[in-house]
Amino acid sequence: MMTDKLRILLIIAVLCYFGVILKLLKDKALSLKYTLLWLFSGVVLGLMVLFPGALAYIIHRFGIYSEMNGLIFLCIGFLIIICIALTSIVTRQNKKIRVLIQEVAIMEKRLREVENEKE
Amino acid sequence: MSKVLLIIPAYNEEESLWSLIEEIKTVCPYVDYLVVNDCSSDDTDRLLSELGANYITLPCNMGIGGAVQSGYRYAAQNEYDIAIQIDGDGQHDVRFVKDMVKLIEDKQADVVIGSRFIDKEGFQSSQARRIGIRILSMLIRLMCGAKVKDVTSGFRAVNRRFIELFAENYPDDYPEPEVIVTAKLYGAVIKELPVVMRERTTGKSSINLKRSIYYMIKVSLAIIICRISLGFRR
Repeated sequence: MMTDKLRILLIIAVLCYFGVILKLLKDKALSLKYTLLWLFSGVVLGLMVLFPGALAYIIHRFGIYSEMNGLIFLCIGFLIIICIALTSIVTRQNKKIRVLIQEVAIMEKRLREVENEKE
Repeated sequence: MSKVLLIIPAYNEEESLWSLIEEIKTVCPYVDYLVVNDCSSDDTDRLLSELGANYITLPCNMGIGGAVQSGYRYAAQNEYDIAIQIDGDGQHDVRFVKDMVKLIEDKQADVVIGSRFIDKEGFQSSQARRIGIRILSMLIRLMCGAKVKDVTSGFRAVNRRFIELFAENYPDDYPEPEVIVTAKLYGAVIKELPVVMRERTTGKSSINLKRSIYYMIKVSLAIIICRISLGFRR
């Protein structure tokens, strides 16, 4: 069972969460592309807190009998997905940086040669 | 006559580079060379500039894989037929370059690896390292059927096709064993050429004892993953 006290606390927490993300989005400190997953998980968590009946129904089907455990389970699941997504983003950026470094170095050599020819 | 490029990755090798470049100029004047200075913290950059050497300096340190790949990228852009990578520390003897080029020009091989374990001459490395190399060699043979004894050798030559492949696709760190699997799965004929290696006189190997466990795990995994991801190519 989720007490009303806890529900109110969780609703406030989810609202703060959205507040922070939207503020960062507005300040362009986060790009929407990488924030979609965060927003999505926030929406799911918000729905779960607003409709504890639905939460209870779903998690009972997975054999979890306490709403709080179910919520924590969900949160951890989202965190893991987000971490994997981040690692993948880092890897892709790494590849791009690598090409950039190599191209810059080769260009620098050509520039050096052109300058030497001029002199 | 093929256009040949020697790729020399160098990180803090100012003591050995000078003699290596001199050696290249006297022993094989018909090849071009490119030193890839991997953002050395010593005076490598100034030395290369004073020598009037053919070099590029990477703006950030990228490790051996990224440095060698820069060389392949350069070779691809400047239309070289054959690229030969050779360590900047003077371990490898440029006298063997001629034989490597010949093997590729005669179409006997796409990839030639300079191996110190065939004639067992010259510097043979420590017992522990030889065991590690043998394990990796067996693993590579199991994964793709390539029979290579000296899988960690950084002295190797490739033809135009693999220059283009490596310019786009080259592992980051400890790349040597993994590249053999990539090449084999892309259908390369790989030949080993007996060479004599010297014990490095300056600098220190990028693989010290502390890192060897990490090295074995990382390289073994990389070989297996490489095999899986390229698995359908054969």
